[in-house]
Amino acid sequence: MNDSKTMNVATARLAAPMLQVRNLHAAYGESKVLHGMAFEVHKGEVVTLLGRNGVGKTTTLKALIGMGVHRTGSVIFEGRELITLPSNDIAKAGIAYCPEERGIFSSLDVEENLLLPPVIGRGGMTLDQLYELFPNLYERRHSQGTKLSGGEQQMLAMARILRTGATLLLLDEVTEGLAPVIVKKIGAVVRQLKAAGLTILLVEQNVRFAESVADRHYMVEHGVVVDTYANGERGDRHETLGSAKLSS
Amino acid sequence: MSDDIILETKGLTREFAGFAAVSDVNLQVHRGTIHALIGPNGAGKTTCFNLLTKFLQPTRGQIWYQGQDITGTRPDKLVAMGMARSFQISAVFPYLSLIENVRLALQRRLGTSFHFWRSTSSLKHLDSRAEELLKSVGLAGMGHTKAVDLSYGRKRALEMATTLATDPVLLLLDEPMAGVGHEDIDTLTELIRTVAVGRTVLMVEHNLSVVSTLCNTVTVLRRGEILAEGSYDEVAGNPQVIEAYLGASDE
Amino acid sequence: MQAFLSQVLLGLINGAFYAMLSLGLAVIFGLLNIINFAHGAQYMMGALAAWLLATYFGVNYWAALIVVPVIVGGLGMLLEKTVIRRTYRLEHLFGLLLTLGIASIIEGLFVNYYGAVGRPYPVPSMLQGAVNLGFMVLPLYRAWVIVASLAVCLITWAVIERTKLGSYLRAATENPPLVLAFGINVPRMIMLTYGLGVGLAALAGVMAAPIYQVNPLMGSNLIIVVFAVVVIGGMGSIMGSVVTGFGVGLIEGITKALWPEASGVVVFVLMAIVLLIKPAGLFGKPFSGATLALDPEARPPLAGEPRQYLVPILAMAALLIVAPAFIYPVFLMKVLCFALFAVSFNLLIGFVGLGSFGHAMFLGLAGYVTGHVARNWGWPPEFAILGGTAAAAALGLVTGVLAVRRQKIYFAMVTLAFAEMVYFFCVQAPFTGGEDGMQQIPQGKLFELIDLAQTMPLYYVVLCIFLLGFLIAFRTINSPFGQVLKAIRENEPRAISLGYNPDRYKLLIFVISAALAGLAGSMKAIVFQIASLQDVYHSTSGDVILMALVGGLGTIFGPLVGAFAIVGMQQYLAPLGQWVVVVQGVIFVVCVLTFRQGIIGLLARWIGRPL
Repeated sequence: MNDSKTMNVATARLAAPMLQVRNLHAAYGESKVLHGMAFEVHKGEVVTLLGRNGVGKTTTLKALIGMGVHRTGSVIFEGRELITLPSNDIAKAGIAYCPEERGIFSSLDVEENLLLPPVIGRGGMTLDQLYELFPNLYERRHSQGTKLSGGEQQMLAMARILRTGATLLLLDEVTEGLAPVIVKKIGAVVRQLKAAGLTILLVEQNVRFAESVADRHYMVEHGVVVDTYANGERGDRHETLGSAKLSS
Repeated sequence: MSDDIILETKGLTREFAGFAAVSDVNLQVHRGTIHALIGPNGAGKTTCFNLLTKFLQPTRGQIWYQGQDITGTRPDKLVAMGMARSFQISAVFPYLSLIENVRLALQRRLGTSFHFWRSTSSLKHLDSRAEELLKSVGLAGMGHTKAVDLSYGRKRALEMATTLATDPVLLLLDEPMAGVGHEDIDTLTELIRTVAVGRTVLMVEHNLSVVSTLCNTVTVLRRGEILAEGSYDEVAGNPQVIEAYLGASDE
Repeated sequence: MQAFLSQVLLGLINGAFYAMLSLGLAVIFGLLNIINFAHGAQYMMGALAAWLLATYFGVNYWAALIVVPVIVGGLGMLLEKTVIRRTYRLEHLFGLLLTLGIASIIEGLFVNYYGAVGRPYPVPSMLQGAVNLGFMVLPLYRAWVIVASLAVCLITWAVIERTKLGSYLRAATENPPLVLAFGINVPRMIMLTYGLGVGLAALAGVMAAPIYQVNPLMGSNLIIVVFAVVVIGGMGSIMGSVVTGFGVGLIEGITKALWPEASGVVVFVLMAIVLLIKPAGLFGKPFSGATLALDPEARPPLAGEPRQYLVPILAMAALLIVAPAFIYPVFLMKVLCFALFAVSFNLLIGFVGLGSFGHAMFLGLAGYVTGHVARNWGWPPEFAILGGTAAAAALGLVTGVLAVRRQKIYFAMVTLAFAEMVYFFCVQAPFTGGEDGMQQIPQGKLFELIDLAQTMPLYYVVLCIFLLGFLIAFRTINSPFGQVLKAIRENEPRAISLGYNPDRYKLLIFVISAALAGLAGSMKAIVFQIASLQDVYHSTSGDVILMALVGGLGTIFGPLVGAFAIVGMQQYLAPLGQWVVVVQGVIFVVCVLTFRQGIIGLLARWIGRPL
C-alpha cells in the first residue's frame, strides 16, 4: 500500500508539467493586459503563444520572469510557486528570458554581453560552444553590442541565455523584423536546443516559423488563452489570427 | 493632384546607433482620408510616427505639411498649424478635471497663457465649448471629475476630446486602440469615424480589423521601409505583406 | 613665472580632487539615479577619519589610505541599505533632499565635536621635501597627489570598463530590470556602487588632509564646485568626469595666476558657457527631443477652486493682524520675510516641480541692492524695495535662461552653482562690505508718510508686503498661466503637443519666483537694517527648502507655517549652537522618509479639503 502510494506520487511527478500557469493577471500601472492566462509546458517541449500584437503574449513572458508588471495568480515551476519571487530569484530557479527588444547592452561588447548572465545551473553551453554555434559572434566579439546588425543582435540575445544552464527558455518574438535567411538559422538553433533537452516557451507572430519548430500552440486573445492545438492540427483555426482577410 | 496631399515625407530616415529604424520613407497622406500605418512589430511605425510629430529629429529627409517644409519645426509649433497628435499611453493631465483638460487645448488661442495676473475665471467662457467636446466623446456631465479617476477607455476618449479642441486639420493617432478593452473598441472606432469627417487622419494601429473598417489607405512598413501601399484589400492580398505578417516558412 | 607655475600646480591639485569627487558622483548617479549631496560630507569624513586615526590610534597616512575608504565606504553602504534605498520609488527630488539632510547631520555632528577650526595633518615623511625642476620647485607630496589621483581614476575606469563586475555595473546602469531578470542581485550592486562612490570621496579626503587644513566644513563648499564640474562635463562617461575635473582645476589655477579675483567664479562662468552652447555637458549624451517617460509618482497635492481658499486666507490675514499683541513683532517680521521667501520657493517646487537649490541668491542680492539704494543713494524705502526686487528678477532672468535648459536634478545643481557664484561675487564686490556686511541701512519713511523706524508701523507694512506677495503667488497659481504650468508638470509631452513650449513657461515662473524672493530679501534688509553674506549663503537656500518641506510642498499655507516652525526653532535652539544644524538635518531626513506631505498637507488630509 505504501509502495503504491509512492508509485502514484512518482507518476504524478512525471506527468506534472514543468511550468503550470493558472489564472495569471498582469497590468502595467492601470492598464490591465492579462485577464487570467492559463497554460502549461512540459519538460522538453517547445510551446508557442500565438496571437496578434497587443493581446498580451509579451506581457505573459514578462509576468513569468517578474519584470516590470504587476502580477497575480499562480506560476508553478518545477513544483515551486514563483508568483511572489523577485525576478532575480525566478532566474535562479532556472528560467532565462530573451526579451523582444533583445536588450543588448550598448556599453558592453559582444563577449561581455555573452558573459553577463550568471551561470545558475549545470548543463549550460561554454563560450567556445556558443561561438561554434554562432560563428558571426566570434568574429565580432569585441564590437560594441548595439553595433551589430539586427540578425546578429538577435543571435547574441539568444546565445547569451544558453550559457546559464537555465532549463526553461522564454523567447520573445525572436524572428521579428529579420530576413528569411536569419529566421531559418534561428529555427535550426531552436530545434537543436530542443534536441539537447531544453524546454522552450516561444512568443511568435510568425505562424509559419512557429509551426516549423513547436510541439504545441496556444492562441491568445485579449489576455486569455482562447484555443490550443498540437502542431499540425491547425485546421481552419488560422482565421483567429485577427484578420481573416490577411490570411489567404 | 499635389494640392490634395496634406502631409508628405521625402526620403525620411532615422538611424539609431548605426541601424536605420526608418529608412528612406516617401509617404503621402491625402487630404480627407483616414490613412493607416501598419506593419509587424519592429517595422518602424512608432519611430516614423515620432518623426512626423517632431518628437524625434530625422537623420535625413524632409517632412512637408500643407506645402511647407516642417522638418526643423519645433513640436509645440505644429498645433497652431492645425496638426494634432495623440499618444499611445493615454495622455491626459491626471489631476486636473475633465473640463480643465479640454480647456487647456482651447485656451492657447486666447493668447493669455502667459498672463499670470489674470484669474482662471477668465477661462470660464470656454467651459461650454469644453462641455460640448466632452459630450461629443461620450463624457457628458463628467466635467468636474478628475481625469485620474476615469477608466482607461474613457481616458482615451478624453484625450480625443482634448485633441479635437485644438481644431486640427490633420490628426495623428498613435495606436488609438492600444490597451483598450474589447468592449470599448467599437465605440472608439465609431468615434474616430465621426471625428474624421472634414479632417485627415493618420494612425498607427495594430488592430487590423479596426484598420480594415476605418481606413481608406494603408501603408505597410517592414524593417523601416515601405513594403506596400493601397486600399486595405489590396495590401491584404499582397503576398509580401502576408509574408511579413505571417512570416516566411523557413523550410 | 615661478608664481604662475605654482598656481597652475595648485589648480591641478584642486583638479585632482574635482576629478575623484565627480567620478564618484557619476558612478553613484549612473546606478542610483540620485545626486549624492552628502558627497562633500563624506569627503570630509575621509580627511577627518585620517586625522582621528593618526591622533588617537597612531595610524599612519599609508594605512589610512586603505582603512579610511573601507570604513567610510562601509558606512555609506549601511546608509544606502537602511535609508537611501527608501527613496528610489519616490520622486527624484526626495533623494536629493534626503542626502542634503544627511550632509547637514554629518557636518553638524563633526562641527560640534571638533569645532570649525582647521587641524593640520602631517605630510608623510617619505613625501616631505621638494624637488627643484629648474623652472620651479615641486613639493613632493603635491606631485604624489596628482599622480596618485590619476592612478585612482584610471583604476576606477579600468574596474568599470574592463572587469566582469564592471560589466554588471554598466549593464545595470542601462537596464536594471533586465539585469535583475538574468539573476543578478541588483539591489546589492546598488549598495556596493554607493559604497564605491563614497569610498572614492573618502580616499580623496585622506589625500587632501596634508594639503588643506582638516575641518568639518571642508567639503561643503567644495561639493558645490564639483556640482558645477559635473554640469560642465555631463555625467555620460567616466573619462569625461576625470578630464573635466582636471581641466577645470587647471583653468582655475591659470585664472588665479592671471586674475586672482576671478578665480572663485571662473568655474561657474564656464558652467554658464557650457549650458549655453552644449546644454547636455561636454561629455553628456544630447537629449533626443522631449522625454516621453512620465514620472508615475508625480502626484500633486490636493488643489481646490480659488474661492475655497477665501475664508482661510481671510483668517490668516486676521491672525497676522492681531498677532503682535501676543508675539514679539520683530520675530513676526522675521517669520514673514522668510515666509514670503518660502512662498517664492514653493511656487517653483510645489507647483512646477522645479527644485531651486540656490534660492538664497535672490534673497541676498535683493537685500544688498535695497541697502545700497537706500543708504548710498538715499532713496526712499519704496524705491529701495522696488530696486532690490527688480535686481532679483533680473538675476532670475539671466540664471533662468540657462537653468531651464537642464531638467530635474541638474536644475538643482545648476541653481546651486549659480548661487555660489553670486556668493563669491558678494564676498569680493566692494559695495557689499564683504564679511562685515552692509550695515545701518536707513529705514526711512514709506511714501514720505509712514515712519518705518517705529516697530508697529513697520510690522503692518511688512504684513502688507507679505500679503501682496502671497496674493501674487496665489493668483499666479490660479491664472491661465498657472493652468499651463500644471499641465507641464503633469504631462510635459502632452503639453508640448497642445502647443506650449515648456521652457518659456518655466522661465517666466522662475523669474516671478526670483522677484518674490527678492521682495522678501528687500523687506528683510529694511526690517533688520542689514544685508549680510549669510543671506546669500547656501545654508539659507537649505533653510528655505526645509521650511517649504516642513510646511508642505505644493500647499498654499505651508510656507508660512514652515517659516514659523523653522525660524521659531532656530530662535529657541540658538543656545545649542551647531546642534541646530544637526536637528535640521534630522528633520529633513524624517520629513523625506515619513512626513512628505508636511504639516499643512497632513492637516488638509485630516479635514478633507485643500489648504
